[in-house]
Amino acid sequence: MARMKFICDAERCIECNGCVTACKNEHEIPWGVNRRRVVTLNDGVPGEKSISVACMHCSDAPCMAVCPVNCFYRTEEGVVLHDKDVCIGCGYCSYACPFGAPQFPASGTFGVRGKMDKCTFCAGGPEANGSEAEFDKYGRNRLAEGKLPACAEMCSTKALLAGDGDVVADIFRNRVVKRGKGAEVWGWGTAYGTQQQAAAPTGTKS
Amino acid sequence: MLLTKKPHAGTPARAEGARSPFVHSLQRGLSHALPTLDRRSFLRRSGLGVGVGLAASSLTLVKKAKAAEGRETAVGQGKVEIKRTVCSHCSVGCAVDAVVENGVWVRQEPVFDSPINLGAHCAKGAALREHGHGEYRLRYPMKLVNGKYERISWDQAYNEIAAKMQELRKASGPDSIFWIGSSKHNNEQSYLMRKFVSLWGSNNCDHQARICHSTTVAGVANTWGYGAMTNSYNDMQNSKAALYIGSNAAEAHPVSMLHMLHAKENGTKMIVCDPRFTRTAAKADQYIRFRSGSDIPLLFGILYHVFKNGWEDKKYINDRVYGMDKVREEVLAKWTPDKVFEASGVPEDQVFKAAETLAMNRPSTIVWCMGQTQHSIGNAMVRATCILQLALGNIGVSGGGANIFRGHDNVQGATDIGPNPDSLPGYYGLAEGSWRHFAKGWGVDYDWIKARYASPTMMTKPGMTVSRWIDGVLEKNELIDQDSNLRGVVYWGHAPNSQSRGYEMKKAMDKLDLLVVIDPYPSATAAMAAMPGKEGDLNPNRAVYLLPAATQFETSGSVTASNRSLQWREKVIDPLWESRSDHMIMYQLAEKLGFGKELVKNFKMQKVKGLDEPVPEDILREINKTNWTIGYTGQSPERLKAHMRGMHMFDVKSLRAKGSWVDKETGYDIAGDYFGLPWPCYGTPELKHPGTHVLYNTNQHVMDGGGNFRANFGVEKDGVNLLAEDGSASKGADIQTGYPEFDHVLLKKLGWWDELTDAEKALAEGKNWKTDMSGGIIRVAMKNHGCHCFGNAKARAIVWNFPDGIPQHREPIYSTRPDLVAKYPTHDDKKAFWRLPTLYKTLQQKNLADNVAQKFPLILSSGRLVEYEGGGEETRSNPWLAELQQEAFVEINPKAAADRGIRNGEFVWLHSPTGAKLKVQALVTERVGPDTVWMPFHFSGRWQGVDMLPYYPAGAHPVVRGEAVNTATTYGYDSVTMMQETKTTICNIERFTA
Amino acid sequence: QANQPADSTTAGARPAAPAAAAASAPAAGGLGGIQGQNIFTIKDASNEPDYAKQTNGERAKVQPGNNAPMWRAVGAGAQGYTSLPKSEAPEAGVLVQPFVTYPGSRHTTAGEAWRQVRNNWLIPYGGSLVLIVLGALAIFYFARGPLGHSDALDGGARIERFTPFERAAHWANAIAFSILAISGLVMAFGKFFLLPLIGGQLFGWLTYALKNLHNFVGPLFVVSLIIIFVTFLRDNFPRKGDMRWALRLGGMLSRDPNGELPSHRFNAGEKLVFWGGVLLLGFFVTTSGLVLDKLWPAITYDRQAMQYAHMVHAVSTMLMIVVFLGHIYIGTIGMRGAYTAMRRGWVGEAWAKEHHAYWYDDIRAGKIPAERSTQPAVPAEPARAA
Ligand SMILES: Nc1nc2c(c(=O)[nH]1)N[C@H]1C(S)=C(S)[C@@H](COP(=O)(O)OP(=O)(O)OC[C@H]3O[C@@H](n4cnc5c(=O)[nH]c(N)nc54)[C@H](O)[C@@H]3O)O[C@H]1N2
Ligand SMILES: Nc1nc2c(c(=O)[nH]1)N[C@H]1C(S)=C(S)[C@@H](COP(=O)(O)OP(=O)(O)OC[C@H]3O[C@@H](n4cnc5c(=O)[nH]c(N)nc54)[C@H](O)[C@@H]3O)O[C@H]1N2
Ligand code: HEM
Ligand code: HEM
Ligand code: SF4
Ligand code: SF4
Ligand code: SF4
Ligand code: SF4
Ligand code: SF4
Ligand SMILES: [Mo]
Repeated sequence: MARMKFICDAERCIECNGCVTACKNEHEIPWGVNRRRVVTLNDGVPGEKSISVACMHCSDAPCMAVCPVNCFYRTEEGVVLHDKDVCIGCGYCSYACPFGAPQFPASGTFGVRGKMDKCTFCAGGPEANGSEAEFDKYGRNRLAEGKLPACAEMCSTKALLAGDGDVVADIFRNRVVKRGKGAEVWGWGTAYGTQQQAAAPTGTKS
Repeated sequence: MLLTKKPHAGTPARAEGARSPFVHSLQRGLSHALPTLDRRSFLRRSGLGVGVGLAASSLTLVKKAKAAEGRETAVGQGKVEIKRTVCSHCSVGCAVDAVVENGVWVRQEPVFDSPINLGAHCAKGAALREHGHGEYRLRYPMKLVNGKYERISWDQAYNEIAAKMQELRKASGPDSIFWIGSSKHNNEQSYLMRKFVSLWGSNNCDHQARICHSTTVAGVANTWGYGAMTNSYNDMQNSKAALYIGSNAAEAHPVSMLHMLHAKENGTKMIVCDPRFTRTAAKADQYIRFRSGSDIPLLFGILYHVFKNGWEDKKYINDRVYGMDKVREEVLAKWTPDKVFEASGVPEDQVFKAAETLAMNRPSTIVWCMGQTQHSIGNAMVRATCILQLALGNIGVSGGGANIFRGHDNVQGATDIGPNPDSLPGYYGLAEGSWRHFAKGWGVDYDWIKARYASPTMMTKPGMTVSRWIDGVLEKNELIDQDSNLRGVVYWGHAPNSQSRGYEMKKAMDKLDLLVVIDPYPSATAAMAAMPGKEGDLNPNRAVYLLPAATQFETSGSVTASNRSLQWREKVIDPLWESRSDHMIMYQLAEKLGFGKELVKNFKMQKVKGLDEPVPEDILREINKTNWTIGYTGQSPERLKAHMRGMHMFDVKSLRAKGSWVDKETGYDIAGDYFGLPWPCYGTPELKHPGTHVLYNTNQHVMDGGGNFRANFGVEKDGVNLLAEDGSASKGADIQTGYPEFDHVLLKKLGWWDELTDAEKALAEGKNWKTDMSGGIIRVAMKNHGCHCFGNAKARAIVWNFPDGIPQHREPIYSTRPDLVAKYPTHDDKKAFWRLPTLYKTLQQKNLADNVAQKFPLILSSGRLVEYEGGGEETRSNPWLAELQQEAFVEINPKAAADRGIRNGEFVWLHSPTGAKLKVQALVTERVGPDTVWMPFHFSGRWQGVDMLPYYPAGAHPVVRGEAVNTATTYGYDSVTMMQETKTTICNIERFTA
Repeated sequence: QANQPADSTTAGARPAAPAAAAASAPAAGGLGGIQGQNIFTIKDASNEPDYAKQTNGERAKVQPGNNAPMWRAVGAGAQGYTSLPKSEAPEAGVLVQPFVTYPGSRHTTAGEAWRQVRNNWLIPYGGSLVLIVLGALAIFYFARGPLGHSDALDGGARIERFTPFERAAHWANAIAFSILAISGLVMAFGKFFLLPLIGGQLFGWLTYALKNLHNFVGPLFVVSLIIIFVTFLRDNFPRKGDMRWALRLGGMLSRDPNGELPSHRFNAGEKLVFWGGVLLLGFFVTTSGLVLDKLWPAITYDRQAMQYAHMVHAVSTMLMIVVFLGHIYIGTIGMRGAYTAMRRGWVGEAWAKEHHAYWYDDIRAGKIPAERSTQPAVPAEPARAA
């Protein structure tokens, strides 16, 4: 079974936020919850690079490990999902997540955050595929429709790649070879573990 | 290497039935607790489901897809339709599939098949579906009564507006109303708008192109023929080098970067010249920072190295360019590296490197946009760029070209066939011949139209421009070149905060007798009009009306992308609330004004929500029938629709159909066509001209989209041949040298006249290719003989009919550099220029005398953020976008900030020499140099520190409001087109104090 | 910042002479210094001056595409730019949590480190600790049985041990504590013992309720704890005899039924609970709890703050639970009469004498009134607390 993965190509990402609004649009995400966001480093100076980041669907997911109610689960495709009926909104997953993926609809005074929400890799949640309940709580289930995540499909420059880890790594490797630069696969090691890094192109490191 | 769909599309990720292991464990867990109940009934019975109120409220994170008027649809029920439309935000023209369920736009899918965007979108395109919510739109007609907007009926609105218009017409003539049309209108609406204003009897109409690419259009058309992007975003994949000057494509045309970044991976070198280190610059191989407004020194600095090293394409220049020798002399003498450095601040080595990259990596392309156009010498700047490309032999070459990225989704189309004050659709001009041509096309008596005008002179005199309507109101009557001042203004799809001198605009708006705003989001204008102004400015008789227009998703029609491709938008949903489509409003208003029949003579009507609306297809057919000049004749609705359905057949690099494909509905075979039949698509649709992907390309046959430069400026100038030299012609042309444009005389002389059918002969007699309604002249010249209907001439490096035939650097009227003003002064004042007196030298000198450069030592520039568009009211009303940019800001260099004790994120006062001041947040960044500050121009809704919320029509206000930079911008207009100077003005900044 | 690129010019600056023409000579064979884009031409630039200190822009000049300086900064938790406002998303600019080493974790991203601390230490050891203490108390109970002979109200005149106010404060506190402890324990360990028992759905709702209860009762507990502290402060100062009591653990372990050592109103054990349990652990529990509740003013509630607060909270609450398990044990089944004393407020002379001999002596001597709640002359504890 394919293992779903994200790669964001810093040499291509132009911080256009297309991925962000694509996600909002597809899942009707309210103001204040950002399943995906774009971060620009060295903003305004040479060397500026942008990265779009959401849940990386980690292999050994810290969020999953700390959740006090075990509401996370992993699909056969390696997508890390959670059950909002079970979630207690404790915020632990957000403390644990290296990428800042988990989001909460409320501010958190008195610890009231509401149910956690995060990128589902457009794979919905535990409800029946494509059901209204699933849509209400988790947004669309594109994977079940045979589609890939909305954010990556709509990425303006195809910087954001999503899909079968082998395929996206191939595409990325191809680009790296062609341009001979910008080889880091951001977040790969952290999210998918170092043993899998062999599958990902290795970059110029100093 | 573009990732599209999951290869095994269709296979559900988690097959129904085989639930995830988690669900199993869930069920197992439950069955421990209560073996016989399923989870839901358990929750219900145990009361847990309702008991935890807190939980319930925060549980449903996602809103239901909801419709206007409270129509709610459940997901997964009802009739589902897919409508193919096109993003209405920028000129890239990204296609979108709208999923409509029971009349509600519930989803948006990327169109991977589109050769333009391959499914890609920027923030605006990816948030397009919000138009189907339209939460913050104007819902019904409104009228300003005692400072508040009140709801009225459409009938009341029409009656009152029409009465007022007739009153103004009677008292002050038809030219007392200024009609501001829109680049947001589709081609049919833009065209109808020009027709509407003509039948009203005035040339006082304009639209965004004036303040966008008017200088480009004028400069480029006068250089080689057509005022448009020569190549395409896609074709940039063929470039070996690309220079972006004054374009921030990564924010303004994000999806164009898809092609460029792909090209870069294949070795294309990318150079960005910009006063700001933009997001585009971040992707460049070389970035050149230069002083805003010094494009000509920089470009000619590059050209200097080209000439000095003999890198120019000598054969190409000899065969196809007029006047390059004189330019060469002047550049070598005037723009030596020290002068370039003095004026632009760019050291020689950087200029040299850019020149070398462009020369050594041909074909090389140049991209420009607002950085070059929005200047009082914009027309000269763009021509300097053209000259550089001509010197390098890059025009008419795949991979080369002048890739002029246009602005709004249909600004190209509206420029081509829309409400321009100086021409009829298709750049036909205002001469009697043009009028007769159109009168015939419209089926309206020429003399009837003539009688509608104040006088025959006013019929052929270009109108005022949108950039200056405020002067049309405020200027002394004796100084303006029409009888009455402007007394009424109709904003028909245009924002107010996009025109400069907003501070004075408030006064002009108060003085009006009539202000009508027809827009889905008329709110910026509405609020500005309702806000109390200065004592005594307000005209007590002023009437203000707001009419809710439908968006482009509530109607159908064609839209022209920057690369000149036309795409057909299907109607996605019915007009929301009480809104109506623009062409319906035009028709209904014309009826009230008494020329409804004339307006829609050639059109059938269709019912929309029970009301008559002209059929867009019919309007397009009328366009096809009349706009021969620019080849808007081949794009029949049938062909366009076939292209939209057969998108997958077009090659991404060449945009050409990869083979034969027959559209089921129209039976049309797209074989050989370029995607969207990029204009010029000559002749009748039956001629099957494929459209033109790369303009002026002699390497192709004219019936394959090949061409050459246009013969539009005579055959010789001062004894120098203006036609192309021997041997230079499009591939396969029967005439292998320069030749003039085709008309009945030339055809006869060549002995080709008899190749016309008798019917064609009847229509072509006494006509040229532009006025021959049969298309026969074009057919014979192009199809039978491979010759270009518009002749074969040289491009002009010297445009002698412009103020500066050879582009000259001139300092802006508000400059921070008195030393350079002395060396490069501006033009002399102009008297009746587009009907208005226009200041250059006197104001520049006054500024020198007043020492404004010392009081306002910072260059103020402005431009775009990716999330917002134009004046921004529309995009700031879209919560998905608004969340991403919540505060107006000014970028300021750390040094300039430190000098003023300003820290990042603090509020500052930005002072303009006009006396206006803006309260904005400081974004301290090295993106700008210490002498420049930059503001996004998309904000409105705050006025000199005050929130304008109370003045908005109830419910129709944008989510995010901020200070508009144009409240602070100053006087300054292009010496050819009246483009406003919004890229280079001056200001000072101080820490905010209440 | 050395970010001013060599490629850019400070527009408007006017150096005396035009740039040296020599610099413009094209590099031999190259393209005016433009770096090749081919992977094979990426040169080894490691001996460039200050190679290690280069910014990403500088590095891009000598080694195009090598973004190592930037990724290093990212690894260190550098804040990037995001268009989301700081007020709404304070940490949106952080791509990945910085590397840290928390006590007991590897050097890794903060989130992962926190997870390691929580999941590898706090949960297993904290849980074990609670279990061990429970076990120990059980063993003690079965081995030793309840301490003392006299039931509270046995024999002799009544002495008022706790005023109604004291009792009210104590019970409020006790109830809050119990709720917090139970809900906290469910949050921390429920998934090991409850989840398999009642299933995810029910467990989810239950925990959700308990978690919210915990979050709201926490602040109440803080208030009641302060009152408790103030109320019982006076009698918990160390006094003569405490040392002896403490060294021999009050004689609790001795088999001699009359072996309990004399003490004042509170014995050294109680004082230890007071100072160590109520004050010290209470301080950490409540402050960290208030941070977790986002009630502490003027802190940025970023993830690192929450991680720290959580670790402090978890450690201190586990210890507090353990301490008060002991306290509760003694206060209920562990010692005859103690519970009645706390519930009713009165004890008999026998009980007082047996357990708090010095105190009893003082009462007998009239230094302490036998009945305080009705005597307005007594220093007004409630007033002080308020
Ligand atoms: N997101 C978004 N996209 C848009 C639009 C929008 O509003 N929002 N609008 C559309 C429209 S209408 C247009 S016209 C295009 C405009 O697209 P662009 O012209 O690319 O956008 P701008 O940001 O206006 O200006 C481009 C650059 O010009 C630079 N500049 C400033 N002064 C000078 C100068 O003197 N010389 C030179 N060479 N450069 C200078 C600015 O620093 C800026 O980076 O974008 C279209 N696309
Ligand atoms: N300082 C400064 N000023 C600038 C610029 C700059 O760079 N700096 N750029 C200039 C440029 S290039 C441009 S193009 C202008 C853009 O400025 P505008 O075009 O004035 O700005 P928009 O807000 O896009 O205005 C379009 C209006 O059309 C409405 N609209 C959308 N669809 C429809 C429709 O179907 N029918 C009708 N009737 N209305 C519709 C929208 O709601 C919106 O109110 O700004 C110019 N002004
Ligand atoms: C004696 C008292 C307390 C005990 C025994 C206690 C115990 C616990 C425990 C065991 C946890 C779970 C830790 C984990 O799962 O890793 C926890 C979490 C928490 N506690 Fe306490 N706690 C006490 C007091 C407080 C107080 C006084 C407050 C607030 C003022 C508080 C607020 C919190 C918060 C906010 C959490 C985080 C979990 C959430 O938000 O749901 N606690 N506590
Ligand atoms: C259900 C839980 C509890 C029970 C059954 C209980 C029982 C008792 C009893 C019986 C006494 C009286 C002992 C004596 O007379 O010497 C007492 C005293 C006391 N208790 Fe508790 N208690 C409980 C929880 C708590 C908690 C949570 C706290 C504070 C965090 C606390 C703080 C005190 C204090 C301060 C005293 C006075 C003695 C001293 O200073 O140590 N108790 N408790
Ligand atoms: S990115 Fe964060 S939320 Fe997503 S799986 Fe990894 S730890 Fe969990
Ligand atoms: S917030 Fe929800 S998902 Fe995250 S750890 Fe807590 S219970 Fe689990
Ligand atoms: S994968 Fe889907 S849910 Fe995740 S960020 Fe992308 S669009 Fe949003
Ligand atoms: S859509 Fe693509 S290019 Fe745009 S911000 Fe997202 S990842 Fe970057
Ligand atoms: S705004 Fe322009 S680039 Fe963005 S999606 Fe729309 S058409 Fe494409
Ligand atoms: Mo524009």
